[in-house]
Amino acid sequence: MARNRRTQSAEVRFGPALKALLICLLIGGAAVGYVCQKNQLNELGRQKKQREMQLEELRLRNAQRAKQLAELLSPLNLERRASELNLGLGLPHPAQVIVVTGSPSPQPRAATAPRLAQHATPNDREP
Amino acid sequence: MNSFPVVSSSQYRRLAALTALLIAAFAGLGYRLVDLQVTQHDRLADLVSSERQRTLVRPPRRGAIYDARRNVLATSLFVKTVFADPSQMGTNQAAIARLLAPLLRLDESRLVELMQPRAWVDAQGERKELRYAVLKKKVPLEEWQEIRKVMQGLSLGVDESKLTRSELRKYLTEKRRVGNSIGADPVDDQVRVYPNGPLAAHVLGFTGVSDSTNRNPWSSDLVGKDGLELRLDGILIGAGGWQRILQDVRGAELVAHRDQDVAPRAGLNVVLTLDAGLQAIVESELAEAWAKHTPNSLSAVMVRPTTGEILALASLPNFDPNAPGDATADSRRNRVICDLAEPGSTFKIVVVSGALNEGVVSLEDVFDCENGRFQFRGQTLGDHHPNGALTVENIIAKSSNIGAAKVGIRLGESLLYHYMRSFGFGDRTGIPLPGEVRGIVHPTNRWSKISVAWIPMGHEVAVTPLQMVMAMSALANGGRLLRPILVDHVEDEQGRLIGGRAQPVVVRQILGEATAQKMVRALKTAVLTGTGKQAQLDYYPVAGKTGTAQKIKDGVYSHSAYFASFIGFFPADDPKVCLAVVMDEPKKGSYGGETAAPVFQKIATRAAGYLGIPPILPPLEARSSGAEPSTGKVAAAPLTSPPARRTL
Repeated sequence: MARNRRTQSAEVRFGPALKALLICLLIGGAAVGYVCQKNQLNELGRQKKQREMQLEELRLRNAQRAKQLAELLSPLNLERRASELNLGLGLPHPAQVIVVTGSPSPQPRAATAPRLAQHATPNDREP
Repeated sequence: MNSFPVVSSSQYRRLAALTALLIAAFAGLGYRLVDLQVTQHDRLADLVSSERQRTLVRPPRRGAIYDARRNVLATSLFVKTVFADPSQMGTNQAAIARLLAPLLRLDESRLVELMQPRAWVDAQGERKELRYAVLKKKVPLEEWQEIRKVMQGLSLGVDESKLTRSELRKYLTEKRRVGNSIGADPVDDQVRVYPNGPLAAHVLGFTGVSDSTNRNPWSSDLVGKDGLELRLDGILIGAGGWQRILQDVRGAELVAHRDQDVAPRAGLNVVLTLDAGLQAIVESELAEAWAKHTPNSLSAVMVRPTTGEILALASLPNFDPNAPGDATADSRRNRVICDLAEPGSTFKIVVVSGALNEGVVSLEDVFDCENGRFQFRGQTLGDHHPNGALTVENIIAKSSNIGAAKVGIRLGESLLYHYMRSFGFGDRTGIPLPGEVRGIVHPTNRWSKISVAWIPMGHEVAVTPLQMVMAMSALANGGRLLRPILVDHVEDEQGRLIGGRAQPVVVRQILGEATAQKMVRALKTAVLTGTGKQAQLDYYPVAGKTGTAQKIKDGVYSHSAYFASFIGFFPADDPKVCLAVVMDEPKKGSYGGETAAPVFQKIATRAAGYLGIPPILPPLEARSSGAEPSTGKVAAAPLTSPPARRTL
């Protein structure tokens, strides 16, 4: 049975007040934490989106540069530029080609030989 | 003692009424809750997802095409679709159009018209405003960046310094809104770029936008329409990715709520056996010959005879694959594989090599060439120059029709047919290009009584230039017919090999090695002393055969329209390159030896320098004056071919 209010002591009871405060702090802290987390999540999301856009833009630029390079390296373009600049460039006459077949080079180490073979491209093949 | 206060009956009634009201209110709310969450759940969920959720398709980058030296022949670029949101522009359309017109290269009034606000009432009776008006598609990245810069620095004709703080705030908000009214689609378009322009156009083909009927929503709308682009579409196209995103009320993505994010897989890159350098040589020489002879068409195909690799393939008239619509269908046709023609004298290699292989003749056997007129089963066969008795070697060298007919008669119908089919005539070569035709080789039961004499002259059959060059390559390759190789290998974006490199495929051994050697000897004579003299090269022995076929006009053989051709290979005894040049109706000159052979000579000379083929013989001038073979400045190196094989 509850004690009569008159019989209760007049002193402030800190226990329940502290409990209430703690609960309030916990709930408040959780709410603030949640909002902070959400904020951070949004901020990171924004940054991620920005980075993705940057990456995409760099990819596009890269493709654009690759296209420009390909245009500059085009045989037709090279030939046109060589004649425009009058550099006297052209394919060597077969008589100007010196074929050097010296003594065979020292045998490569066994470990490197297969690797060299693997690196051969179709362009290395004799025509 | 009762501590509760006494409650009157009126108070009870008020309390009961309030309770009932509250219960009714809660019941109403509960009903609405059930109605929204259960009864209308699906409709509302769809509505929400349509308003806030979006699925963005991420198109795959189409794979590139490279030549054998890794020069880019075809690549893809992503481009933007620029749109306007007229609802955000206020009354600034004219000012924006003035800024954008030069950047988008569009008419200012047209832009203003596109950006006019529009509104309509939808099926639900809601008023909708136009928020997406496409201004231009396929805008390059640089242009889009310029547009963005211009829009960010947009001034609405207001002097900001004269505004109060609140006016300035209002003005800046308005400025930002108008600045953001021009945007680019989040999903990029793609354009195909051919950096070398028309170079190898007939091999590469071109792309176009897929028809809406068969369009794959998860893939790029760029599809191959011709050439390798069409044939290898499945390899080049890649697989699309997607993102399922959630947007806030302003349309910005809530990245944290992105629930699906699948990256696209780029198409595989294709590396060809074609060499852009050789292709450029071939095309530039063809262009020169085109200007000189003004034929209806001019084609050339260059093959590495020992492997079957196609090194160059060109046809004039051609087109620029960057703008295929600007060319006629006739120019876009790959004549090397699509056009059929009677081959003329180049076909003599089939009958003579067949007869040599069967042992029915030898190179030294002599045939009477009847001084240019030969009656056979009621028909007269003629030679362009009257010849008396000729050895089989000279029948090839002097290209005697009567001699070839007599060799064919001696070989017999069934063996002649057998060798024609063995050389691959009447079958597709298997080159991975669309539209290749089989050619026409009638079975013997459909031959006329004179077919056995006409076919050795290159009549009554129809072949493609590619079939002819592969047949000639077989002679250069010890009698082995190879399948042409155009695609060396396929690799992924990181350059990892997919499925290995192409290997030479021997279709069949047509002739014995000895027969092939004899044919090479005869073909060398044809170039040295016969009809193909103009194909001779400094430093290299050439083996080849000229061809001049009368065209059929109005059902009869014309005496003014010819197919002129030369097919040959060099160095004759150790062939590196086999080349066919085919001219349809040259206007200046008619014989293959005087029209196609010089083109062969020019291409071959440049190709030899480009490929660095070591010289074998002295230059022509020195050879005719009887000088010793010399290779120029050869340092401590024996020639690649032994002297004995250099005997012509």
